[in-house]
Amino acid sequence: MASVRSDIPPPFAAHKILIAGGFGSGKTTLVGAISEVRPLRTEERLTSASIDYDDVSGVDGKTTTTVALDFGRITFGSQVVLYLFGLPGQERFSFMWDELSYGALGVVILADVRKLDDCFPSVNYFEKRRLPFVVAINCFDNAPRYDPDEVRIALDLDPGVPLILCDARDVGSVKQVLITLVEAIAARRSGRRGSGRTSVTPGM
Amino acid sequence: MPGSNKWRRRDSGPVVRPYAVTGGRTEPADGEMLDLLAVVVATGLLASTGSGRRGGDETAKLTPEHRRILKLCENQATVADIAADTALPVGVVRVLLADLTAQGAITVVRERPAGQRTGNDVLQEILNGLRAL
Repeated sequence: MASVRSDIPPPFAAHKILIAGGFGSGKTTLVGAISEVRPLRTEERLTSASIDYDDVSGVDGKTTTTVALDFGRITFGSQVVLYLFGLPGQERFSFMWDELSYGALGVVILADVRKLDDCFPSVNYFEKRRLPFVVAINCFDNAPRYDPDEVRIALDLDPGVPLILCDARDVGSVKQVLITLVEAIAARRSGRRGSGRTSVTPGM
Repeated sequence: MPGSNKWRRRDSGPVVRPYAVTGGRTEPADGEMLDLLAVVVATGLLASTGSGRRGGDETAKLTPEHRRILKLCENQATVADIAADTALPVGVVRVLLADLTAQGAITVVRERPAGQRTGNDVLQEILNGLRAL
C-alpha cells in the first residue's frame, strides 16, 4: 500500500450482545431504553420459507427482501463500544441468527409470560450454540405475574442460566439485565457455574 | 387521507433499488465479507472533500455514496455503524467499503469482535461501564 496514515490510533474494541425473543416481546423497546436505536437494513435472499409471508406478487424475479434489525450502541470511554443487535424474531429469519451470533459475547432472551413458547426457539438455539444467555421476563403492565421459578421450570432452563424480571422500558432495569448477562459470562469463564447469580465482583 | 402511510414507511429507506448505488454488484470486489463489527478508518490518501494527498482527481471518481462513507470513516467506525448512519443496506456498504479499500482510501484496523475470547479485564471494563450508566 502506498502510504498509510501513521497516526492511526489503536482500534477500539467492538463487542456484541444479541437481544432475542419472540415477535412483540419488547426487543426494540429494550434496545431503545439504553441506547440510541436505529434500524440496520440488510438484504436477505428470499427463501421458500418466506413465500407465504413476503408478498412478491407482481414483482417476478424479486429474490431478496429487506430485513431491518434493531441496532444500538453504548460507548464506554474511547476504547470500548458495546453493540446491541435485535434478532428478527420470526422463525423464517432464523437463518440470520448464525451470522449475527458469530463473535457475540452473549444473548438476552426476552420472554413474555403470555406467549412463553415464543422464546423456545431462541432458548434451544443458543443452548445448542453454547452462547451464554440470560432469560429476561418482560413484565408487561397487563400480563399476569408468575413466580420466576415456575417460568424456569416451564422453559426447562439449565440451573446456570440466570432468569430475571425486567421492564424493557426502564433504563435501570435494562442495565441490570445487561449486568446480569456480563456477570454470567465472566462466571462461566472462570468455571464457577451453578447458581446463576454468581457475581464476578461485588456490585457497587 | 386514509392509507397514506401504507405507501412508504418512514424507515423503509431510499426508493432507489439498493444495489443501484453499486452498479448492480452484490459481492465485494475482493470477495471478502467484512464482519458487521469490523472496524475501518480512512487512511487520508483520498479525502471525501477532494483535499486528500492524491488530490481531487481520484476523489472525483467516487460516487456520492463512496464519499459519504469515506467521510464517516474519518473516525473509526464499524460496518454496522456505517450502514446505520447512511441508511444503506449492509450488503451495499460491504461492496462500497471494498472499493475504498482497493483504492487505499480506507483500511480495516480490526477484523472482528473478540467474542468468546474476550478477556476478563475487558468484561470487567464493560461491567464498570454499565454500572456507571
